[in-house]
Amino acid sequence: MKKKWVSWSGKTVLALIFIVSCNIPSAWAAAPWHWAFAMKQDLLQDSMNMPTALFIDKGKEHYYVVDSGKNRLLSFNRQGELLNILNAGKSLDVPYDMVRTGDGMIWVVEKGRNSLTSIDLQSRKVTRATLHYDGRLIYPDRLEYVGGLFYVLDKVTGDIISYTKALKPRQRYSCDKCSRGFVDFRIYGQTLWALDRQQKTVYRFDLGGALDGTISLGNFVSFPVSLAVGPSGYLYILDRHKRDIAVYDKSGIFKYHFLRHGFSRGELDYPIEIRFDPWGGLCVVDEGNSRVEVFRR
Amino acid sequence: MSRSIAVRLLYITALFGLLVPGTVSAANVCFKCHQQRLFQGKVVHKPVAAGKCSACHNPHVARFKGLLRLTEGQLCYSCHPKQAASFKQGFIHEPVHRGNCTACHDPHASGVKGLVRKDLARDCLKCHKKLPRKFKYTHEPYAKGQCLACHSPHNAGNPLLLKAAADTLCGTCHKARDLRQGHRNYPAPLKDCLTCHNPHGSNRPALVRNVLHKPYAQGCSSCHKPDKAKVSMAVCLKCHPDVKGQMLATHSHLARHKGNSCLNCHSPHAGDEKSLLKGREAQVCTSCHQDTMKKFRDSPYKHNNINKCSDCHEPHGSKKLAMLKGNGTEVCVRCHKDQGRFTHPIGPKILDPRTGHPLSCVTCHNPMGTDYKYHLVANGKEKLCILCHRTYL
Repeated sequence: MKKKWVSWSGKTVLALIFIVSCNIPSAWAAAPWHWAFAMKQDLLQDSMNMPTALFIDKGKEHYYVVDSGKNRLLSFNRQGELLNILNAGKSLDVPYDMVRTGDGMIWVVEKGRNSLTSIDLQSRKVTRATLHYDGRLIYPDRLEYVGGLFYVLDKVTGDIISYTKALKPRQRYSCDKCSRGFVDFRIYGQTLWALDRQQKTVYRFDLGGALDGTISLGNFVSFPVSLAVGPSGYLYILDRHKRDIAVYDKSGIFKYHFLRHGFSRGELDYPIEIRFDPWGGLCVVDEGNSRVEVFRR
Repeated sequence: MSRSIAVRLLYITALFGLLVPGTVSAANVCFKCHQQRLFQGKVVHKPVAAGKCSACHNPHVARFKGLLRLTEGQLCYSCHPKQAASFKQGFIHEPVHRGNCTACHDPHASGVKGLVRKDLARDCLKCHKKLPRKFKYTHEPYAKGQCLACHSPHNAGNPLLLKAAADTLCGTCHKARDLRQGHRNYPAPLKDCLTCHNPHGSNRPALVRNVLHKPYAQGCSSCHKPDKAKVSMAVCLKCHPDVKGQMLATHSHLARHKGNSCLNCHSPHAGDEKSLLKGREAQVCTSCHQDTMKKFRDSPYKHNNINKCSDCHEPHGSKKLAMLKGNGTEVCVRCHKDQGRFTHPIGPKILDPRTGHPLSCVTCHNPMGTDYKYHLVANGKEKLCILCHRTYL
């Protein structure tokens, strides 16, 4: 009798293992990320409202969050604790993205004024500039600062244009085949990665403007809005409508996706941007849930 | 004794024949009541021709209307699996999506290839009610009911279900030389025919759409510089400063269209409505937001009676999430006035413990569609409440 029970028990365990392994989608099983912490400004008193971008200052070990709905910038330490709130004398009008340059200046894309606005933190001077390229007005959207140059995504054309610090245009990164242009970009080393939402394709350019290759994202994404390349070269694509992140290997093969829709910790609602921090964290700016969440392996 | 067994066997065989499809010519029995002439035509559906009525119908009892053995779509695709696969691609015609094949096909017999109903155009207009059968000036294929001359009836790669790019389709009948003659002063290569012409019909000659953009009616030079076809967005915004203000928002529909975002959705010359949209609003929105429309269409519970996306969303730009016209309460209470007063506490002082956000209608409801009744975001019997009220567990 005992022998029979052991035999049945073994079969049951095997059957359970089989059933469980069959029911976990391989794409989910492969996700190694777990929630680490969230940057939230005084949750129940003065929460963020529609944060749209994150900038990471590696030297100062600070995170900066653009709190678009409340027209301000927030800075946090590496642990996600609030340090400062900057609203430039309440003069910011729909800030959308920002960078910090090494000379104590903060540069902000102000959508409400269609300007690239510089804030001198020492003199508290705010200067606004409109950008042009080839005689045409630029509508700045995303902003990066690499190697002494600003890289600005123009929302009207979907092109990326580099500018000197004197805001003179230098180089345009464009794709003729894109029906709607790019919606986000990142620069790693000498490569500029740009995301074409409509065609669900990532374009790689060298900084000279020459197209280096493309990666098709296929139907694993629905409404991709942001991209980041991990330290191992894997490509991470944030999907605003599916509220998840799709991961592709170096050759562009889909590996897995993770995160899901919701309002609780580790869940997303209308996420808008992803970035890797220098400390191994994958940061997700969650516009709908008004927070920035950091995930680690 | 042996005779009695033989009779019983005969009864059993006859009963088996009636119950199991195709074992006897059931048609002989069916046509005793159903007029056989209604099942005859130039083209007869194979099972009908073989007298296998019971291939699709259960003669005794069935769950589905018409005594069908399965739903209409399931039945058709059980013999037409290739179509089942190919009809899932791209933009899908609504009856195809619903598996309502008989909206256009006669399942028994027809005078037309593909068992298409005799007057297909009449069937098209049964659903496309806003389209009149005749215009003051009617495009010839439309007048003849040749919808399929331009449209793919099942699915296509574009929201208008066109068989090919619109200009290519026009070019199949209208020769380039004739077109050039008809557009002598046109400053650019002829293209985008549908931005000015209604391919079905119009009150204007040459099928020019009914509503003309004011500057276009006044002459090309109002917007176009001499010898320059392209008009920048700045020219549009000069006359539409309110739109400029709307687009300087967190989220906007500024997007590439050869430098003029307005032309993504609007025709600069003529349209069917005052808004000069390039098509019906839902079609224009779907051309980019296919995934949203698919989710809305496929969700079992969603907001009813939505006429236009712009009822709730700001089409140019908005500082609100999802480009709504207000926050998640303001938009809803414009219609749901009562719910705005007596619902679960909401508003700026009632904060969601998960996010610190003020509670609003969209905290619990997603009008774009969910799997739960009242388009709740989770099961309303328990799960939805304990998402916040965790101590009630």
